[in-house]
Amino acid sequence: MTLLRDAPAPYCKGCGHPLVLRALDRALSGYAPEELVVVTDIGCVGLADAQLETPHTVHTTHGRSTAFATGIQLADAVLGEGRLKVVVLIGDGGATIGINHLVNAALLNPDVTVVVHDNFLFGMTGGQGSAFTPQGFVTATTPGGSATPPLDLCAVLLAARAPFVARTVGGDRELADVLARAVAHPGFAVVEVLELCTAYATRWNELTGGELRAVAEEAGYELGVLRDEPRPSFAHTYKKGVDRPEPAERDGLAFAGELPAPARVILAGTAGERVQSAATALVRAGLAQGLHATQKNDNPVTQGTGFSVSEVILSPEPILYTGIERPDAVLIVSQDGARELAATGVFDRVDGRTFVLADETVELPVEAERLPLRATAGAKGAALAAVEAWLAR
Amino acid sequence: MELVSGNRLTALAALASGCRFFAGYPITPSSEIYRTMMEELPRRGGLGLSAPDEISALSMCVGASLAGYPAMTATSGPGFSLMVETLQYAVATETPVVVTFVQRLGPSTGGATQGAQGDVLLAEFCTSGGYTIPVFAPSTAEECWTLTRRAFEWAERLRTPVVLLSDKEVGMTLESVEVQELYGNGRVVRRGGFGAGRVVVTGSTHDREGRLRKPDPEVVEILDGLQEKIDAAAPELALVDADLEDGADTLVVSYGVTARAAREACLRARARGRRVSFAAVKTLFPLPELPLVGAARVVVAEENRGGLYAGVLEPRLGGRELVRVNGVGASIPPARIEAAIG
Repeated sequence: MTLLRDAPAPYCKGCGHPLVLRALDRALSGYAPEELVVVTDIGCVGLADAQLETPHTVHTTHGRSTAFATGIQLADAVLGEGRLKVVVLIGDGGATIGINHLVNAALLNPDVTVVVHDNFLFGMTGGQGSAFTPQGFVTATTPGGSATPPLDLCAVLLAARAPFVARTVGGDRELADVLARAVAHPGFAVVEVLELCTAYATRWNELTGGELRAVAEEAGYELGVLRDEPRPSFAHTYKKGVDRPEPAERDGLAFAGELPAPARVILAGTAGERVQSAATALVRAGLAQGLHATQKNDNPVTQGTGFSVSEVILSPEPILYTGIERPDAVLIVSQDGARELAATGVFDRVDGRTFVLADETVELPVEAERLPLRATAGAKGAALAAVEAWLAR
Repeated sequence: MELVSGNRLTALAALASGCRFFAGYPITPSSEIYRTMMEELPRRGGLGLSAPDEISALSMCVGASLAGYPAMTATSGPGFSLMVETLQYAVATETPVVVTFVQRLGPSTGGATQGAQGDVLLAEFCTSGGYTIPVFAPSTAEECWTLTRRAFEWAERLRTPVVLLSDKEVGMTLESVEVQELYGNGRVVRRGGFGAGRVVVTGSTHDREGRLRKPDPEVVEILDGLQEKIDAAAPELALVDADLEDGADTLVVSYGVTARAAREACLRARARGRRVSFAAVKTLFPLPELPLVGAARVVVAEENRGGLYAGVLEPRLGGRELVRVNGVGASIPPARIEAAIG
């Protein structure tokens, strides 16, 4: 039973695309059409949707077809019944712009078969060169012959651990069998088919169907099934647990306390010295008293070096603005922290009502109470010691 | 109460809404959503994927959604820029998907850990043809929960991509929230997928059978339908939290992180006897009806250059005086908004 519509194909005379489509039709003959999803890319290859009568078709964006197909297949395999066979039809232009998706799919290993229609150029847009254009090949954008060698996509995808990789030429009588093996493979499979674009490639170059093998040889391309190995598919290796409800994470801690007005505290020190942890401890104590709280953390993008600053607000009322216009307390446990507060203008917002506490070693532009926080509590305990000292006050 | 970030509540709300699929790519300040989904989905029977880039991430989500499973991704400005083509594909193919967009300071790489509201126009006006993508803007961690729930609901109801637009301050600030009280029933119900009925999907202009067609009246009718379904839902979809005061000549309008400072500014102004009304916009697009009656002037506060959303609102203010309070590089403090109230 054919999957194809009984209608004339919209392809140029001698184009390789309909040869591949007919071979694919034979390769897919054993599958129920409702279990087939054909995902097509942009370009002449994308006109295949109109030729397919019975399978599902998804015509996607340029180069991205394999990413869509990966989402479809893995969702069905992991979340659904795993009924679907997903086949991608893409050109060499799409494989040029979208090679990252092919590499990613080879690594992920969804049960997706990608058929790369490689006619050495972009056909629909006027015969521009692609990454697959052979050296010396004339295209609309390489009028003097392409200066660069063509990409060996199969080698790239072999390196990306694709379990099934094959390369054939369009008129090859083995093509349907190779495609059938690719589709039957339970993991990611790619079949690159070298073919003719009679609108441009054969017009500008000495090239016939019989010469495609010579093009392959000159490009250093191996032909045939280059790998057909079992490899557990992504859906097979993905560890999926049972549906379980959200665990309630509660402190179970509650005690009475009194905070008549919001308290706004800035805690500053060095990354990796538990400044943000100390702030969280303060906040959790506030939560245990039934207070509202916010905590904002800041550190350099490198995470593990330089300053670390936490801004905490504890309030008997819900908190609106989470920034701190005028701090009630500023606790500084290292010079890194002091430097950052100076840079962000915090000391300009300190007034006589602000409790400023600093380690005895820190140089500051404002008056502060001094304690040997680092000497007594250690570098990683200094921030918590500062919080304790403030609370004691 | 628990200490929890807006990003975490976005992830938990997505799961509570029935999100089964997430594909992500790390970017500050949205990465906590990605990590949380990768932790939570497997143990809830879902699927989380690490995509090799943001184009892949959203394309995978659209694929999973086409296969019948509610899906979400999360990103920030640089990643959203890459997603725009796929987002348009979701518009054209009427594929439900939720994109959480946690803003940082741009342009380009900008400031990864600096909050901003500079992407409000990027999030909305990124489609060719100007089709409205619903955009929700939470101000608090709790609203990250409630508006993520709405985002999933509306994505399904209208079969459209929906953007949840927060920022570093809303997404990453830890807040006390009664998380357990947020839970309730209501998972989205998904119809569709690749089953017995043949499915034809295309981002190209097409007729009702899904066949590629140059624009004829049927094709144009389909294109018009993409916008009309949003417009028809706008009265229900477009949310504003209004706190109006009799006799107030000034209406303060804000959204996202700045709405918190704006509300505080209004409370301070009222405490000194100044009558002022306040409207926090929760649905930025489609544009909500603002409670303008009685207001002679409108103060619009947002953390970006020049007042991006104010520019969208301006033609709808009926000639009222527009006062913009803007800035980049730091959250706008209440004092600046209070000064604008006068």
